[in-house]
Amino acid sequence: MPHLDAAFNLARWLTRNDHDAEDVVQEALLRAYRFFDGLRGAPRPWLLAIVRNACFSWLQANRPAELHAVDGMEQESDAPGPEALAARDVDRRRLNEAIAALPVQFREVLVLRELEDLTYKDIARIAEIPIGTVMSRLSRARRQLAEALRIIAAPPRLRVHK
Amino acid sequence: MKAEENRLHAYLDGELDAAASLEFEAQMAENPALRAACERQRELSAAIRGKADYHPAPIRLYRVEQPASKSFKFISAFALVALVAFGLGTLLTFRAAEDPLAREVVASHVRATLGGRLIDVASSDQHTVKPWLSARLPFSPPVTDLSQDGFELAGARLDYAAGQPVAVLVYKRRQHVVDVFVWPAAGESEISASARDGFNVARFARGGMRYWVVSDLNRNELDDFARLLAARR
Repeated sequence: MPHLDAAFNLARWLTRNDHDAEDVVQEALLRAYRFFDGLRGAPRPWLLAIVRNACFSWLQANRPAELHAVDGMEQESDAPGPEALAARDVDRRRLNEAIAALPVQFREVLVLRELEDLTYKDIARIAEIPIGTVMSRLSRARRQLAEALRIIAAPPRLRVHK
Repeated sequence: MKAEENRLHAYLDGELDAAASLEFEAQMAENPALRAACERQRELSAAIRGKADYHPAPIRLYRVEQPASKSFKFISAFALVALVAFGLGTLLTFRAAEDPLAREVVASHVRATLGGRLIDVASSDQHTVKPWLSARLPFSPPVTDLSQDGFELAGARLDYAAGQPVAVLVYKRRQHVVDVFVWPAAGESEISASARDGFNVARFARGGMRYWVVSDLNRNELDDFARLLAARR
């Protein structure tokens, strides 16, 4: 099963804990087996699409609040880019927390793009959204992440006022 | 503003076509702010790839079996016999089939070198090469950065081998060209080395992909290269 790690990684990032991710992937695997005679030949995007759906069903059932729509409700932030960010200096733990804090729809495109290195086309198929939406979610995900990291990265100055 | 931002991301993700890419690069050349924004995003992307947690599946998940029916045990006895027979058969077939494949990949390597058509997409950036290949192939070959080890990625081309379209990653070491043929195939196999027409060949299978490495590089360095490549898979 060559794509099992990818499947678990996606589920782990979407559910944000090991135990639930394992349950969800296990269920997705059983579903996948029904369509595919063994997973060896199953393409990665295909398996990830099944896992992604299982994750969203699970979120719907257990944490519906996390699924509120993100498209269209954008506050036009013309704030200047995160000038202070030196991404290479970002602390590993902070980076992980910032990604985990993204809305799930942004988190999934980011994980699929950066950690699975998938094309927009594959991401569109997995997340069941148009390619244009992949592009805009990805750019918003990265912007939010950059902004969040900058805020976290510059606490000393904020603390002075407290 | 937003469209421009989206285009920046599409550019970095290798999702713009050649014409749009060139146009964007021309814009960047004239616009230092855009260039800086692009650089920041590139760094952020590199930070995510380098530092974000990748959660490998726990062992338990590898043991999730295909749901078994009641007659499963009965069937599995037959399956075992069939499998052994099939295994022996394929083993023999493979032995016979590997050699023509060696001829094919060496021929492709020589043709590409002679014709000067070594590279369809020239880039030392794996994040440019990989999407270019996945956009044109029914699979997405892993592209490994080995520049730290003295093998510069020069680009990639498409070719046809083993009866299917394959990806060819082109690395350079001094004046030598190293071609890595990649295509999807089940099974894993260790590195095995051979030589043909004065070219050194190494092959192995990892993670659902088969790799054939061809070069006029000396045996030792080519084997090192194959080991590095296999280790990163």
